[in-house]
Amino acid sequence: MGDASVKIFTAKKIITMNPALPFAQAIAVRGDRILGVGTVEDLAQWGDHELSEQFKDHILMPGFVEAHTHVMAGAVWEFPYVGFYDRADPAGRTWLGCQTIASVVDRLAECERDLNDPDQTLVAWGLDPIFLKGERLVAKHLDQISTTRPIFVFHASGHLATVNSEMMRRSGIDRHTPTPGVAKDADGEPNGELQEPAAMSLAQDGFAAIGVAMMSPNAKWNYAREARNCGVTTIADLGTTRLAMDGQLEAWRQATDDPSYPARVVVAVGHSDFGSENKDSNPMVSLAVRLRDEEETAKLRFGIVKLVLDGSIQGFTARISWPHYVNPPPGHPGNGLWLIPPEQLADIVSSYHEAGLTVHCHCNGDEAAQVFIDAVETALQRHPRWDHRHTVQHCQLTTTAQYKKMAALGMNANIFSNHIFHWGDQHASITVGEERAARMDACATAQREGVKFSVHSDAPITPMGHLHTAWCAVNRLTASGRVLGPEERISVAKALEACTLGAAHQLRLDHDIGSLEAGKLADFAVLEKDPFEVSPEELKDIPVWGTVVGGTPHVAGST
Amino acid sequence: MQPSEGLMEVSVIGGYLGAGKTTLVNHILRQASERVAVMVNDFGEINIDQSLIDSRSDNTISLTNGCICCSLVDGFVSALESVTSFRPKPTRLVIEASGVADPGAVAAYGHGPGLALDAVVVVTDAFRLCEQIADPLIGQTVVSQIGAADVIVLNKIDLADNLTAAKTELAKLNPDALLAYASHAEVNLDLFFGREVVRTSDPTSHVGKFESRTHESSQPIPRAALEALVENLPPEIQRVKGIVRLAEAPHVAMVFQLVGRNWELRALADRNNSPDGNRLVVIGPKGSVPMEWDNALNSGK
Ligand SMILES: [Zn+2]
Ligand SMILES: [Zn+2]
Ligand SMILES: [Zn+2]
Repeated sequence: MGDASVKIFTAKKIITMNPALPFAQAIAVRGDRILGVGTVEDLAQWGDHELSEQFKDHILMPGFVEAHTHVMAGAVWEFPYVGFYDRADPAGRTWLGCQTIASVVDRLAECERDLNDPDQTLVAWGLDPIFLKGERLVAKHLDQISTTRPIFVFHASGHLATVNSEMMRRSGIDRHTPTPGVAKDADGEPNGELQEPAAMSLAQDGFAAIGVAMMSPNAKWNYAREARNCGVTTIADLGTTRLAMDGQLEAWRQATDDPSYPARVVVAVGHSDFGSENKDSNPMVSLAVRLRDEEETAKLRFGIVKLVLDGSIQGFTARISWPHYVNPPPGHPGNGLWLIPPEQLADIVSSYHEAGLTVHCHCNGDEAAQVFIDAVETALQRHPRWDHRHTVQHCQLTTTAQYKKMAALGMNANIFSNHIFHWGDQHASITVGEERAARMDACATAQREGVKFSVHSDAPITPMGHLHTAWCAVNRLTASGRVLGPEERISVAKALEACTLGAAHQLRLDHDIGSLEAGKLADFAVLEKDPFEVSPEELKDIPVWGTVVGGTPHVAGST
Repeated sequence: MQPSEGLMEVSVIGGYLGAGKTTLVNHILRQASERVAVMVNDFGEINIDQSLIDSRSDNTISLTNGCICCSLVDGFVSALESVTSFRPKPTRLVIEASGVADPGAVAAYGHGPGLALDAVVVVTDAFRLCEQIADPLIGQTVVSQIGAADVIVLNKIDLADNLTAAKTELAKLNPDALLAYASHAEVNLDLFFGREVVRTSDPTSHVGKFESRTHESSQPIPRAALEALVENLPPEIQRVKGIVRLAEAPHVAMVFQLVGRNWELRALADRNNSPDGNRLVVIGPKGSVPMEWDNALNSGK
């Protein structure tokens, strides 16, 4: 900040997201803030300046704001990727998708040769057996790689892992293991697949690895690098209880205080069940208030609390209203799971609401959304408060009536648009059926009903990339190539607004970020093509040069 | 069989919000005659008595339905690890699941390293049960919890005016579970401590039909009479436990444990807090548990 010198960046075009001056050619920066936007001539009135033509062939727009991701998006890159789709790592290297069992085995064999310590567990992630044709990958395939080194492969769903025989031997997993979820073959021998956390946790060395990685400084850096690579300048790590743990706040400070750390981070306090049966002593309220009031810096922000109310739609654990799921697996109880007792939610929301915090609540199903909306209404009746910006996260099946109510209550929405592409086909055929799938992730309804909204990736659940997420909201194309619910498509302009100002608003940062105008932070996404010039179908393919955060350029793909 | 030496037995306490889980945990802490570690949602509600609790984990633990795609599984596994590393080692871990958690899913952790799952105890609110089961929002949650139980504690019977309806519902939802009635969650711990012996061999199914009976008497019993009693047990009885006083040493309360045909007697550790008289719980398949033991127990008279 202390730097008083003025730098003027010129660009092929600057998209400001400021309706009073939508486009410009130049932007002046002093310290980490924008001095002005306009022409070089206009900006010369600020006196002596350095003129940078670094971006003269690029498009500048406000840095994207990704209001729902997890630092785990950075942690997973501590381990090799064996998913089906190509995926770029934080260093910008593209990992080709493994489309057969043989290619999974080849990839892992290559990584195995690179490990020096013969006892080190080989951990990998991203496996998605739904896409792999033929037989299922099991321990015997992984045994081709090593019979002496433990191997642990996390599936993309996060619910399963596959391990080799050596991992089972070292973990004491055998035909007598009673833990549910230890899959066994016809002869009663475990086949290496561990379903759900209780079974996965038996292979402790592998299961614990990602949790350990999440705490590491490197994960925090890779998280921001991944953001930078797709033009995101502010990322929200939406919900952790780890801030209460020794050293984690300091670790975030250390990373974000480094001038070369390429992103701003909002770390949301995860509501914990701890103490919730006694609302007078919700210890997370004082933690969240203290962080917001005493610990914020330019690149590390607080003030958001995250609640999780239900499960996921593709896991059939989201709470959805009648007629519930169209084609659930055998034995399914009919509806999803609550993660917080519904009648307790109003008290929990009130405790944060009264402390002036903003509550973001994971609600995939519409029944969950209704319980949250009702809880916010109760909190408002008890304690009227303007401009709280409480936000429904995921908001996947939220109805028109619910959006109307959210608008009336001053609530925001963060819509999981990436689902349209990744699971849209399954939602139409298996989870909620055609009609409701067509109105899932209803950006157009949110817009029509006057709800301020954003869209998100929930990385690492789906890859971070706001141009891709905007593309989903604009085109609503599924993986099979069909348009799912054309009426819910929104314009490119509206999608870009959702990815900038919309997200900044629900993070309570729109006074600082989200548009390019005098006084705001100098955070830009630097694009190779103009999103208003390419066809809407090409939005996701626009190359990203990198970002500018607080006036400092960060080129994509660097380490 | 009894868990092998050094394993910590795990009791999972589930049940919907407000049913009395915390009250039951407090009751366990007051009554237990062994070293108990607890993992609960809210330590603020636990009456911590240093003589009863060996250790506690300082970690925040959220025992709910979380998973990586919906909410990160934060802390639970590491909290479990730290509990198993407590020294001196507790012999039992009592886990209180959250009010909406599926206790069966929590119990799945009870087979982890160093652990042996004992029983899943689900506390229900006799006063509100029928209303909860019919509730469109929480009905399925309550029903699933009951379905996961080895032992159901029908609590708050002092408040309920219609126990029959609640009993009928429970019998329908989980006919295999042992049903215990309580107010203020005061139940005989022998009903669910040491239940692993009556688990069926299929670990995925819950306990088969069984029953348990408590026999009490006031006079010390001669050792020979006790031995005769054990000798004459029906072969289906696999488990007896409780506290007896022998006529040969009436001032010492002894813990009696029978597993299969093996049994032992050892002095109760906490002598200041030992009950008078004999109290034995006999557990076996339905119909096999002797009705008339009290006379035999009193044979020393
Ligand atoms: Zn979520
Ligand atoms: Zn999330
Ligand atoms: Zn999940």
